[in-house]
Amino acid sequence: MSSQIFAAILGIDSFRELAQAMVTGIITGAAYGLLGAGLALILGVTGRFHFAVGSTYMVTAYLAAVATGIWGLPLIPAVIVGLAVATVFALAIEGVVYNPLAKRAGDGGLLPVFVASLGIVIITENLVRVVWGNNTRNLEGFPSHTYNLGNVTFTLLDLTLVIVTLVLLGGLSLLLARTVLGEQIRAVRGNPLMAQAVGVSVRRIFYLVFAIGTLVVGVAAIFSAMKFAVIPSMGNEPIFYAFVVAFVAGSHRPPIVVGLVGIAIGLAESVSTIWVSDNISALVVFGLLFAILAARSVPQGIRQLSGALSKANRRTLERSAQTRA
Amino acid sequence: MYWIDVCNQILIFATLAMSLNLLLGYAGQVSVAHAAFAAIGGYASGYLALKSGVSVPLAFAIGILGAGLLGIVVSLPALLLSGEYMILLTLSVQTIVLIVITSIGALGGLYGLTGLPTVSFFGKELLRPEDWLVPLIIVNVVILGLLTWIGESPFGRILRGIRDDQLATQSLGKDVWVKKIIVFGLTSAIAGLGGALLAYYNGVTAPGLFEFNQSILIVTMVVVGGRGNLVGSILGAAVVIGAGPFFEKVINLSPETSALWRLIAFGVLLIVVLMLRPQGLLPEGLSIQALIRKLRSRSAVEEPVVAPAPVPASTPGNGTAPAGDGGEPILKVSDVRKSFGGIHAVNGLSFELPRGRVTGLIGPNGAGKTTVFNLLTGAITLDEGTVELRGEDITGWPIDRVARHGMVRSFQDVRIFPSLTVLDNVRMAVQQQRGESLRDLFLMPWSVVRDQRRTIRRAREKLGFVGLADKENQLAGSLPFGEQKLLALARILAADAEIFLLDEPASGIDAEWVDQMVEIIRRLADSGMTVCIVEHNLHVVERVADNVYFMDGGQIVAEGTMEDLVKAENLVEAYFGQP
Repeated sequence: MSSQIFAAILGIDSFRELAQAMVTGIITGAAYGLLGAGLALILGVTGRFHFAVGSTYMVTAYLAAVATGIWGLPLIPAVIVGLAVATVFALAIEGVVYNPLAKRAGDGGLLPVFVASLGIVIITENLVRVVWGNNTRNLEGFPSHTYNLGNVTFTLLDLTLVIVTLVLLGGLSLLLARTVLGEQIRAVRGNPLMAQAVGVSVRRIFYLVFAIGTLVVGVAAIFSAMKFAVIPSMGNEPIFYAFVVAFVAGSHRPPIVVGLVGIAIGLAESVSTIWVSDNISALVVFGLLFAILAARSVPQGIRQLSGALSKANRRTLERSAQTRA
Repeated sequence: MYWIDVCNQILIFATLAMSLNLLLGYAGQVSVAHAAFAAIGGYASGYLALKSGVSVPLAFAIGILGAGLLGIVVSLPALLLSGEYMILLTLSVQTIVLIVITSIGALGGLYGLTGLPTVSFFGKELLRPEDWLVPLIIVNVVILGLLTWIGESPFGRILRGIRDDQLATQSLGKDVWVKKIIVFGLTSAIAGLGGALLAYYNGVTAPGLFEFNQSILIVTMVVVGGRGNLVGSILGAAVVIGAGPFFEKVINLSPETSALWRLIAFGVLLIVVLMLRPQGLLPEGLSIQALIRKLRSRSAVEEPVVAPAPVPASTPGNGTAPAGDGGEPILKVSDVRKSFGGIHAVNGLSFELPRGRVTGLIGPNGAGKTTVFNLLTGAITLDEGTVELRGEDITGWPIDRVARHGMVRSFQDVRIFPSLTVLDNVRMAVQQQRGESLRDLFLMPWSVVRDQRRTIRRAREKLGFVGLADKENQLAGSLPFGEQKLLALARILAADAEIFLLDEPASGIDAEWVDQMVEIIRRLADSGMTVCIVEHNLHVVERVADNVYFMDGGQIVAEGTMEDLVKAENLVEAYFGQP
């Protein structure tokens, strides 16, 4: 009885609804976590504003779907094909576009790289349409099984996604924290010049990080492809989530932390749909984001500003004007 | 007819791109929410005219105002955010605005408001694209003029200073916070105008006109056209908007895929343009005037080069050297403490700077010397203690206020503005410039123009003083390190200060520059200015300093002439380690 009253106070029909929303949130959040962790690694280490992460995401799913649908490969080899092609694609982007551009632009070339990666997004999406048409494709072959736990439902695929996310990001965190390679990656992230000076090949680490990040993001793409469908524009929305999660978590955090931040965002988005309609649940995510950023900088900003606008400061200005007159 | 429509769209987006350029190109504040500000203008003006019966010009004005106000609101959390976080913040603003707009039923939801009233321009109704062309050209010319006036003024120079190095801008006595808010508000307001134009030109305010992709396209126009170059933004708008129609004429494969090939061609175009011209089609500083100057200087090189004689002892500083021989304390530091975490970086520091003298501050690495400069100028706040300048307590003042009050500093890592010319670097430092506020720019434009001559004269005088007069049109970032140090010195000399805190002025530079630097510092003191110098090169300290403080562990442990200190064995050991 009392639980129903609580539920009523919270404005939800029942705790079942809440539980289902939370489970859904964890599942979508796990995917956000993969996206964010992959991008955070790339952003943090290479500093490239890799907007085309959406393209590698789509290419992974698309190639896997084409491999099963057109070439008739079984699921696992098809997934490997998708991940491999996307990784090669990402390495090519870094080698052919980002690196030469950043070198020429100087200062890391944040904006030129950003706009060029936008060009890559446009090219890739439409090239895929030209080659394979605009149809919706599917990636099939994963055993379908649905669990019902006290009226909360999820599928075997969902469960696998969450487990794979935690294992993959946990393993990646260990790799970064405990191995020589991880130490080199962190060294490049901290100070590339210093890393270069002690004999780490920064170029090699950049390529490596692009490969790892693309694979992590690609795993999210494979799960999305198996759960939903594969279309040429499927990479556009995940770009948002990848950037939001990576920035909220901070691009220097261990991948598992980024993953948990992704899950938290997925939860916030999903649970909020209990109270607000689906189409504005994104409002919750971005409202939260805005609030976090504002909380970070507004108090100090106001202090600086009140200092600048204070009467005492004005007086100094006037006095110095007088002494100079 | 078709091409006129394309032209009109280019012109509308050019207003959006030019305004974003002031924010992104000049002030270095990256925003991906420009279309959202345009949406405020478009929707507010559309709704008011359609549903509340407000006249169209008034509806435009309110839309512009509303967008400007939202810009000011957004600028507050943006004040302290760096590049990447700015993108995230504006991304969230863009998304929030669009979601809110589409979820308000009165604004037409996902379909927007249709059937907007016709706009008339000087009594002529704008019905067909041809009718719009001339008004849009006029709007563009006005906005180009307005933004050029602002961007190339002292106000715009401060914006570029913020972009290149905010701390250095502040340390020259410039307020940066209010300027950031103003530039946000102003550029958002112009975006509001662009949005209103976009809505009324199309006859509808649909969400699709203002979505995130549009913001990204506007950023693309600015980057492709050239950041910091307003004409470039018009060109950028032409490339981005015109590419579609252009490829439509060029690429005519099979009808199903030609639209796709056009988009692919656009993507390739973006990448190729940026690979060939990373600074954009028209880079910053590229104008007809600059080209003429370049040609002139090229022909000047062919003349026999006369060695530039250093300008003889003209008075540095503000020329109002105080009466008397000096020597009385002008700056008094009492028992200052600062700890970072548990580390006492400065621990009960007290010393004085006598007027008209050079005081050295030496000590081993980590003694806290640079921290002292940071504390004195307000770059970091102190925990305890007081700083008095000419008997006035300046403890806790913000950095720009300290500078305006007459104490400026140089930085160990120079912190010049690399993408400004040598002359503009020094001009930035001149105090009390007309045209550093919008009020000056619009209420007394003539005196702004007149005052520019004063700042140029003053900057040239200081450049002559350090021997860089012949380099004034070079970009500061292209100078060798030694000359950058001299430039940094010329810059603070132009700042009308009485006290100069010099952080390692002679380190990392060639011997020839060292001699010049020593001479300049001596001349500075001889003309009544007060100098405090932190320097590793003890020979330099010995040559310039009248009095030297030895600092260790965040405290002054000894004081005297350099000779005295060198004799004290324990100090030499502390400095050089065990023999």
